[in-house]
Amino acid sequence: MEKKLDKLTIDDTEYSTEIPEYSRKPYEGVPDPSEVRAFIPGTIVDVKVSEGDSVQPGDVLLLLDAMKMHNEICSTIQGRVKQLHVKMDDTVQKNQLMVSISSD
Amino acid sequence: MSIKKSVNDFLTRLSSKLKGGGDKAIEKQKKKGKHTARERVENLLLDKDSFLETDLFVEHSMKDFGMDRKELAGDGVITGYGKVQNRPVAVFAQDFTVAGGSLGRAHAMKIVKVMDCAADAGIPLIGINDSGGARIQEGVESLCGYGELFYRNTRLSGDVPQISVILGPCAGGAVYSPALTDFVFVVDKISHMFITGPQVIKTVLGEEVTQEELGGAMTHASITGNAHFYANSEAEAFNSVKKLLSFLPANSKEIPPVRKPIPPDRPLGDDVIPDNRRQAYSVKEIIRGIVDASDFFEVHEHYARNIVVGFARLAGRPIGIIANQPRVLAGVLDVNASDKAARFIRFCDCFNIPLLTMVDTPGYLPGTDQEHAGVIRHGAKILFAYSEASVPKMTVIMRKAYGGAYIAMCSRHLGATFVASWPSGEIAVMGPEGAANIIFRREIAAADDPDAYRQEKVDEYEEKFANPYVAAKKGYIDTIIKSSETRDTLIKVLSMTKQFRTGRPHRNIPL
Repeated sequence: MEKKLDKLTIDDTEYSTEIPEYSRKPYEGVPDPSEVRAFIPGTIVDVKVSEGDSVQPGDVLLLLDAMKMHNEICSTIQGRVKQLHVKMDDTVQKNQLMVSISSD
Repeated sequence: MSIKKSVNDFLTRLSSKLKGGGDKAIEKQKKKGKHTARERVENLLLDKDSFLETDLFVEHSMKDFGMDRKELAGDGVITGYGKVQNRPVAVFAQDFTVAGGSLGRAHAMKIVKVMDCAADAGIPLIGINDSGGARIQEGVESLCGYGELFYRNTRLSGDVPQISVILGPCAGGAVYSPALTDFVFVVDKISHMFITGPQVIKTVLGEEVTQEELGGAMTHASITGNAHFYANSEAEAFNSVKKLLSFLPANSKEIPPVRKPIPPDRPLGDDVIPDNRRQAYSVKEIIRGIVDASDFFEVHEHYARNIVVGFARLAGRPIGIIANQPRVLAGVLDVNASDKAARFIRFCDCFNIPLLTMVDTPGYLPGTDQEHAGVIRHGAKILFAYSEASVPKMTVIMRKAYGGAYIAMCSRHLGATFVASWPSGEIAVMGPEGAANIIFRREIAAADDPDAYRQEKVDEYEEKFANPYVAAKKGYIDTIIKSSETRDTLIKVLSMTKQFRTGRPHRNIPL
C-alpha cells in the first residue's frame, strides 16, 4: 500500500516524502490580546465592566464559572471596553469571544 | 486439626482464591475479549509451570463502607515470579474480575513486594495493568499505594528493565506507573489510558470524544507516543514482550544475551539508495540488509515515523539502532523524533546495548509549529543522550548529514566510537541548493541568467562539498566504505574496539 508522496522543502531543496497528518496543522497565530476569549467552557456569573470603560492590564472583566471555580477573566492590555459579547448567566464555549478591547 | 483435615481446608481456601472474582465476573471479562489475569500470567507470558505465586492469601483490612464483609481474592492482583524463555522475571497482573482490579493498599503492597524482589534479584519486572483505578473506599490509602509504586518504578529505572502491558483500563493517576517504566505495550480495543475519561471531558469541556479516540491503543501508539508497542491481540502483545526480553540483559550489570550469528536474508549491495537525494526510500530495508537474519524489532513503529528506532543483532550481539527515515518528513529531526530517539538511546545506555546510528537527514524541520513546540529544548535531548551514552557507538552516514542534524546523529564530536560513511555520504553544513543560494546570493541576483548561474554554483558546491572526503580529511569520519561492506565493518568494530559501557550509571527518565 504505497501512499502518494508529498513535497517538503528544507534549505531550498525539495524532497519527495510523506508528510504525516499531525505535521500539517496550520499555524494558528499568537492570540490577539484585544479579543478576550473563554479558555474553558463555562457560565458567566459576573460582569465587572461596561462598554466604554477604560481598563488596565490585570483589571477583572468577568467571572467565568467553570470546573467549580470562579475564574477571573482579566484584561492583559490597557484600553477601552469596545464591546461586551456576553451577559450574566450566558454559557460560553471554549474560545468564544467574550469581550473586545480597543487599545488606546 | 488433623493433618489431613488441614490439607483439605487449605485446598478449599486455595481453590476459592484461585477463582479470582468468580464465574460471573470471569464471564464478563471474556465477553470483552479479554483473558483473565491468571491466564495472562500463566499461559500467555510465562514458561509452562514456571509461575511461583506470592501473596495469594493477602487481604485488605478496610472496615468502612461495608468493606469488612467483602473478601477480595488476592486483593485484585496476582504477583510472583516466573521464567520467560528460561530467564527469570518478576511479574504482577491486576485482576479486573476482583473489584474491577481496583488498587487498595494491600494490592499495592503486593506489587511493592515483587518490585523490591526484582531489584534485589536483578531481574526484569513485567506489569500487567487492568484496573478501574483507585479503590475509592480505601481513600487516601490507595493514593499511598500509587505513590509507593511510582517511587519504586523510578528507583528501579535503569537497574532492571521494566515493561508494562496495558490490558484494560488504566486511568487517572494509575497511568503514571506504566509511564515511568521503560516500555509500554497496548492492544487494539482492549487498552485504554487517560488522565480524565470521556465522561469528565464532556461534563467539563463539552467535548465529545470516544474512549478509543481519546486513549485507545492506536492513539497512544501513534499520537501521544505513550505506547512503544501496538498489538492486535493479547497473545500477539505477549509474544512481542518475549521478543523484547530476548534482547535485554536481566539488569544493568549484565551483558545482553548473545546468540548464534545469522547472516541477513538479503545482504546489502552497492546500489541501495536512490541516485537522487530528493527521492524517498525506507531505511528499514537498509537495516534489514545489515542485521542478523534481517530481523529488526522496531520500537515506536507508529510514532514520530521520521526516525526509526529498534533492536537487532549483529554477529549475535544485541544492538540498538537509531536511523533517520527519508520516507517520512524526508528524515528530518523534529520535537517528537528527538524525544523518541533520546529515550531509546538512554535505555540502551542503561543496559549495555551498543548503538548503531544510520544517518540520512537534511536537518531540522522548519516552522513556527516546531519552534513553539520547543524544538530547541527537545532537540537538545538527542545531543545529551548521545554525548552521555558510554556504550559502543557506531555511526554510518548513508547520504545527507547536514548541519546541526549531522552533529546530533552521533557524530564523532559527540563521542562516537567509530564513524563510517558510504561514498554517497554528504557531510556538509547544508544541502548544495541552500548553500549556493546563501554564499552566491549577490552574484546570482546580478547574473544575466540567474537560474543558470545558480545551477552552476549549486553544481560547483555539490562537487566540492557534498561528499565524505572533506570530513574524512579532518578525521571526523574514520573510514569510507561501500554499502556492501557495512555489516562486516560493523562486526569488526564491535569485536575490536570498545566493548562495554564505561560511564556512570543513570536512570531512564521518561522523555
